[in-house]
Amino acid sequence: MEKLKKILSKVLKIDENSITEKTSPDTVDTWDSFNSLMLVSELENEFGVKFTIDEVVKIKNVGDIIEVLRKYKINI
Amino acid sequence: MGGYNQYNQEILDDNSKLYDFKPNLVILFIDTKSLLGDVFFNYYQLSEEEKNILFESHTKQIKLLADKVSRNLNCKVVLHNLEVPINSPLGIIDNKQKLGLIEFVKNINHEINKHYKENEKVFIFDYDLFCSKHGKENILDYKMYYLGDIKINFKYLPNLCEEYISYIKPLLLLTKKCIVLDLDNTMWGGVVGEDGLEGIKLGPTPEGRPYLEFQKHILSLFNRGIILAVNSKNNPEDALSVFRNHPHMILKENHFASIKINWNDKISNMKAIAKEINIGLDSIVFFDDDKLNREMIKTALPEVMVVDMPEDPSLYSKTLTGLNEFNSFNFSEEDRKKGQMYADQRKRQNFKETTKDITEYLKALNMVVTLEKANSFNIPRIAQLTQKTNQYTMTARRYFEEDIKRFSALADYLIFSAKVEDKFGDNGITGATIIKKSKKAWSVDTFLLSCRVMGRGVEEAMLARIIEEAQKEKVLTLIGEFIPTEKNIPAKDFYKKSGFKLIENKKNLKKWEFSVNKGYQYPKFIKIEKNGKTKKNIIQSS
Repeated sequence: MEKLKKILSKVLKIDENSITEKTSPDTVDTWDSFNSLMLVSELENEFGVKFTIDEVVKIKNVGDIIEVLRKYKINI
Repeated sequence: MGGYNQYNQEILDDNSKLYDFKPNLVILFIDTKSLLGDVFFNYYQLSEEEKNILFESHTKQIKLLADKVSRNLNCKVVLHNLEVPINSPLGIIDNKQKLGLIEFVKNINHEINKHYKENEKVFIFDYDLFCSKHGKENILDYKMYYLGDIKINFKYLPNLCEEYISYIKPLLLLTKKCIVLDLDNTMWGGVVGEDGLEGIKLGPTPEGRPYLEFQKHILSLFNRGIILAVNSKNNPEDALSVFRNHPHMILKENHFASIKINWNDKISNMKAIAKEINIGLDSIVFFDDDKLNREMIKTALPEVMVVDMPEDPSLYSKTLTGLNEFNSFNFSEEDRKKGQMYADQRKRQNFKETTKDITEYLKALNMVVTLEKANSFNIPRIAQLTQKTNQYTMTARRYFEEDIKRFSALADYLIFSAKVEDKFGDNGITGATIIKKSKKAWSVDTFLLSCRVMGRGVEEAMLARIIEEAQKEKVLTLIGEFIPTEKNIPAKDFYKKSGFKLIENKKNLKKWEFSVNKGYQYPKFIKIEKNGKTKKNIIQSS
């Protein structure tokens, strides 16, 4: 979770401590469509994975990100 | 600025935010797929005539946009060309068609490139080449493209920015003028003091080729006007014998404007080089294989750009050619010769040190000064001199090419340039003057010399020419203006020394007067040429 929080905080410019599984574009102003893509790009680089387009589209909040990463055997 | 995909509206609407913002540089990136739309997929459903019409309308549209921006903003425009697709539905016979899809895009690029060749404001950025450089297979991240219409893989954004910076640097005058080189393990492999002339690696062998090619690349930069210098801790005899006697040495002593081969520290050598060539440390790029030396310069002289040279010499050339420090928006004949001119200056200096006094030196230089009226060949250079000259300039008035063109077409202006040659080489056009004529008196609007030829009587030759012309037209008085700046102290006393009388002494403007009847001698040690290409013009107008 530590690494994920760091990435989220860097891309969205938010406090790491404020991040929960419920954090989503609805709760964070800076989480707009462009930053969503930046986030995908950063996550892929940092965790060394490539998401499919369907996986990306399904992500609605931080919990969803964790779930996708688990599919790639990355334990958060 | 404008919203997503609003570039057409932003550019075509004279009241848009783009024009409100007044940028100094506009980058116009038009994506092939967006431009072609569905034609990208159904190109071969079009008739030949439709293809031609489409070609015309696309090129016209691109030109319209770029022209409109450059006209409205009077700024530089960087116009992307189109990425040429790597696939066609017709596959291997795409290029057998009358106008294949790939050829269609290439032709648009070709047409736009041709159209802007002479344009001083619109610069084509070869985006297609950029894509090739990084691999067209990788340049698009399809997932991001479908998710957010992102046309270029995020991974390559820093590279694209680097390319843009190549245009921004010359705009902000942040480009470099001079390459300073170490010798051992930089210009050749090994240490000449230990390995000897025969032992160093340089030449057509696997371990000699990286150095050979590196030198060839350096030479090609020299030939586009980059000044070269050496900063090496070495025994001068050993090192110079490589320049003089090694059969594969590409760079020779006469390519260098300053050669510091000694046991002094590299920092003082670097300072001495900058002083000798008379350039700022911030104009220097330094190549040295030794990390410690590099760190030392970086710390002591942070203005110098120190290149992080790779361990492996086979990567030297790649490192050098990857630099984007030497760009300029224009390129005059003088710019091309600059490296050579500075190298000649070193020989001149050495010669000066061996002669007894300044008169003997000036005499022995065998100077030839060609005074030539403004014409299409020297106008760009005259304008450039007014922009760049800071030290020996009476008024420091800055003009554009268009200004000089306009003045030279008027009957009440006399403009000429001074080209200076001597036994050591051609200094090129290094002086210029602009005289405003009226019946009673002529007034010297601009009178300047490049610092390369200061103190060699060229200014006297120029003044003698002005007075000669004034006498011919029976003008009685010549007025010399002097506007003091922070840097033009060297020019301050010229009118006084030349027998002018001070008639107006304001803080920001001094006026000096000369009675033309007194006459003024050309310096004896200079041969004056007036019969350049423009002899006819001079006779006709005088």
